[in-house]
Amino acid sequence: MRRAGTAPRAVARLRRLVLLPAWTVVALLFLVPLLVIGSYSLLTRGAYWGLSLPWTLENYTRLFDPLYAVILLRSVVMAAVATALCLVLAFPAALFISRAGRRKNFYLHLVIIPFWTSFLVRTYAWMFLLRDTGLFNTLLQALGLIGEPLPLLYNDGAVLLGLVYGYLPFMVLPIYATLERLDCELLEAAADLGARPWAAVTRVIIPLSAPGIRAGAVLVFIPALGAYLTPELLGGGRSIMIGNLIQNQFTTARDWPFGSALSLVLTAAAMALLFVFLRRRGEELL
Amino acid sequence: MRRLLGLYAAGFYAFLHLPLVILAVFSFNASRFTVWEGLSLRWYQAAFQDAQLAEATLNSLIIAAVATLFSTLIGTLCAYGLWKRAAPVLAGSLYLTLVTPEIVTGVALLAWFQLVFRQVGFQLGLHTVILAHVSFSVAYVVVVVLARLRTMDATLEEAAMDLGATEWGAFGRVTLPALAPGIAAAALLAFTLSFDDYVITSLVAGVDSETLPMVIYALARRGANPAINAVSTMIVVGLGTLVLAAERLRAR
Amino acid sequence: MNRRGFLLGAAALAGCARDRRRRLNVFNWSSYVAPETIPRFEAEYGVRVRYSIYESNEELLARIISGNSGWDVVFPTNYYIRPLREFGLLAPLRHRWLPHLAQLEPRFQAPEWDRQLQWCVPYMWGATGIAYRRTLSPPPAAWADLWSERLRGRLTMLDDPAEVLGACLKKLGCSLNSTDPGELRRAQREAVAQKRLLRAYLNAEVRDQLVAGDVLAAQLWATTAQQAIDASSELAFAYPAEGFPLYADNAVILRESRRPELAHRFIDYLLRPEVAADVVKATKTATANAGARALLPESLRANATLFPPPEVLARGEWFQPLPASAQRLRDRLWTEIKAA
Repeated sequence: MRRAGTAPRAVARLRRLVLLPAWTVVALLFLVPLLVIGSYSLLTRGAYWGLSLPWTLENYTRLFDPLYAVILLRSVVMAAVATALCLVLAFPAALFISRAGRRKNFYLHLVIIPFWTSFLVRTYAWMFLLRDTGLFNTLLQALGLIGEPLPLLYNDGAVLLGLVYGYLPFMVLPIYATLERLDCELLEAAADLGARPWAAVTRVIIPLSAPGIRAGAVLVFIPALGAYLTPELLGGGRSIMIGNLIQNQFTTARDWPFGSALSLVLTAAAMALLFVFLRRRGEELL
Repeated sequence: MRRLLGLYAAGFYAFLHLPLVILAVFSFNASRFTVWEGLSLRWYQAAFQDAQLAEATLNSLIIAAVATLFSTLIGTLCAYGLWKRAAPVLAGSLYLTLVTPEIVTGVALLAWFQLVFRQVGFQLGLHTVILAHVSFSVAYVVVVVLARLRTMDATLEEAAMDLGATEWGAFGRVTLPALAPGIAAAALLAFTLSFDDYVITSLVAGVDSETLPMVIYALARRGANPAINAVSTMIVVGLGTLVLAAERLRAR
Repeated sequence: MNRRGFLLGAAALAGCARDRRRRLNVFNWSSYVAPETIPRFEAEYGVRVRYSIYESNEELLARIISGNSGWDVVFPTNYYIRPLREFGLLAPLRHRWLPHLAQLEPRFQAPEWDRQLQWCVPYMWGATGIAYRRTLSPPPAAWADLWSERLRGRLTMLDDPAEVLGACLKKLGCSLNSTDPGELRRAQREAVAQKRLLRAYLNAEVRDQLVAGDVLAAQLWATTAQQAIDASSELAFAYPAEGFPLYADNAVILRESRRPELAHRFIDYLLRPEVAADVVKATKTATANAGARALLPESLRANATLFPPPEVLARGEWFQPLPASAQRLRDRLWTEIKAA
C-alpha cells in the first residue's frame, strides 16, 4: 500500500522536477546557441567581418561547390581510416583486458590514464617525438640506420597517428564493456566443437561484440571528423580538414555566416550517423 | 594465443605510454634540445616561477571544480529521471551535445553570449567558461550514471516505498548509496573534460580567465619549450594519482 | 555567478588580500615588452596592469568585437585601424595626454592609415622576408628563389593567406594588396606549384627548426628571424628584391574603456625613449620610436635585419584593408591552396 505523497501525480511532478535542471541547461546553453548559429548561417558577411543583411541561402548553396566536397571527402576518409586503425589496435587490447581476471581493473586504468591527461599535451608529445631533431630521428641516426632525418612530421601519416592515439581509449572502453559480459562458456563450447582459437575469435567473439564495435566506431569517427587541432599541429597546415575549414571561417576568413552553415551541416551529418548506427533496442546510450 | 595476446598488450601499452614517459624524462634534461645534457630541475623552476602559468592553473582548477559540481548534480538528477521514464526529446538533445563538434559548440556559445551581453552589459569571464563547460559535460554525466542505474534493480525503490518511504526517501536511502561510485566516476569524467578543454574555453574566455590548456597551446605554438614538458609531467602525475585514488575508492 | 564573485573566491583561495589599486587591462602581442616594463609602470602610477597576450589579429578581434570585452589598450596591426574605426570600436586620442608623441620617427608621425594620429600610436613595425641558412649558396635574395628545387622539403611559408598570396603577388610583380581576380588567381597557382617543395605552413614555431637546421629557408617576419639569428650564427635574413610587406602594430584605446586617461598615460609611458629602448633590447623588435633608437647599442641600432637602410625600405609596401569581395576571393583561393 502506498502512502499519500507518493500518488502517481506527485510522482510525475517529481520526475518533471528532476529533469528540469537538465532541460534548462540543454535549452539555454545548447539549443538556443545552435539556433543563433542557424540564424547566422542565413545572413551575409559584413564589410570586414561580422554579419549583415540580406537574408540568404547562399551559404548553403555554396557547399555544393566541388572544392568543399573534396575537403569533406578527405575528412571522411581520414576519419574512417583513423577509426579502422583504432578498431584493429583496440580490439586485441580489449580482449586481453577482458581475459585478465583479477588484474582487469588495473589494465583498464592503464588505458584510461593517458586519456585523463591533456589532449594538447599528448599531441605535443608526438610533435616532440616526430620532429627532425626529435627522438625517433635522433635514435635512428645514432644507430646508423639512416643518414638523413626522416620527414615524420607534417604529413597525413602524422595526423593519422595523432588521431588514432587520441581516440584509442574511446574504442577500447566500449569493446571491453561488451566483451566483459561475454559468456566464457560460449568459447568453451566452440572449442569443444573443434574450432581452433583463431576461428573462435572470428566466428564467435567478433560477431558477439558487434554492439561494442559499433559504439566505439561512432565515438571515434564523429570527433575525428570534426578534429582541427591535430591536423593543424601535426599536419603543418598542409592539408585542410572540415574542422580546420570551419575554424578558418571564424578566424582568418572572418566569414561567420559560411562558418555557421558548415557547422550545422557537419552536426547534422554526425547526428544522422548516430541514428543510423545506434538505433537498435537495448543499445541506446541515453 | 594467450601469449600472443600478452605480447601484443605489452606493445600496445608501450605505444600508449611512451610519449608521456619521454616527455617526463626530457623535462629533467638540462639542455633545451633533444641531446641529453644531464639532470636538471630548471624547467620545473621556470614553470613554477611563471606567474601566468600559476594563475592559469588556478583558473583551470576553479572552473573545473565548479563546473563538475553543477554538471554532476544536474546530470545525476537527469539520469535518474530518464531511468524512471524515457524522455525522447531530452535524450535526443543530449545526444546532440555529444556529437556536435567542439568548435561548433564553442562558436555557438560565443555568439549567444555576445548577443546576450550586448543587452545586459556582462562580460566574458570565468562564469562564461563555467557555463560552457557545464553545457557539454552534462551529457557525459548522464551517460555514465544512467549506465550504472540500468544495472540496478528498479524494484528496490518500490519495495522501500511499500515499506513506507517517500519518493525522495527511497531515492536517498536506497538508490543513491548504490549509485555513489557511478556518480564519482561521472564526476571524475566531468572534471577531466573541463580541466582539459581547449577549443571551447579559448573561445568564451575573457580578460581574467586564461586557463592552463590555453597557456600550453600558446607555448606550443612558439616552438619547443621544455617548460611544457615540466608542466605536462606534473599534470599527468597529478591527475593520474587522482584517478588511481578514485578508482581505488570505487572498487571498494 | 559573476566575475567579481569568482575573483574574490580566487583571491580568498590564494590567501591574499584583495587588490585595491586601479586596474588597467592591456592586451598585446607576445614578446612585445621587457620584463621590467609593466612592473615599472605599475610602481610609478600605483596601479595594477592585467597584461595578456595574443598571437593573431583575429584572436584580438574575436575578443573586442562585442564592444564589451574589458580590455583598455590593445595593439591591432595597421590595416585593421580603418575597419575598427568605422565600427566605432576605437576611442579618439587626446594628444595633450601624449607629450612623448614627438619621439616617433617622422614617417610614423603621419602614417598612411591615420594621418593625424587621431586613433592610434604606432608601436612596433616589421616586415616579412626570407630567413635562411648561410650554407645556401648563392643565398636567396628574392621571393622567386623560394621556388627553387634545392629547397625541396626544407622550405616553409607562413600560415597566413595575406602573407603567402602577398609573396606570390610580389613574385609576379603585382601589388601586395591587389584586388584584381586575374592577378590573384595567378598568385594562387604559384602557391600551389610551390606546395610540392614545401615542408609545412608554419609561423613562429619554425624558428627552432631553422636553428636546428631542419629548415633551410623560411618566409618569416624580420623580428622572429632576428631571434633565430641570435640563437645561431649560421642564419641570415634577406629582404626580397621584388618587394615585401610592411606592417606596424599600433597602440589604440578601445571606446569601451572606462579608464581613458590611465590608458593614455600607459601609451605615453611606452613612448618614452628609455622605456621603448629597453623593450627593443629585450625583444629585438623594430621600434617606431626614433628617440629610443638613438639610445640603442650600436649592434642593435645598425642591425640591418631590424632596421634596413632606406633604399631597402623603399621596396616595402604596407598591408591595407581590402573590400569584402576581394577578401572573399582571397579566402577561397587560400582554401584551394590548402586543399591542393
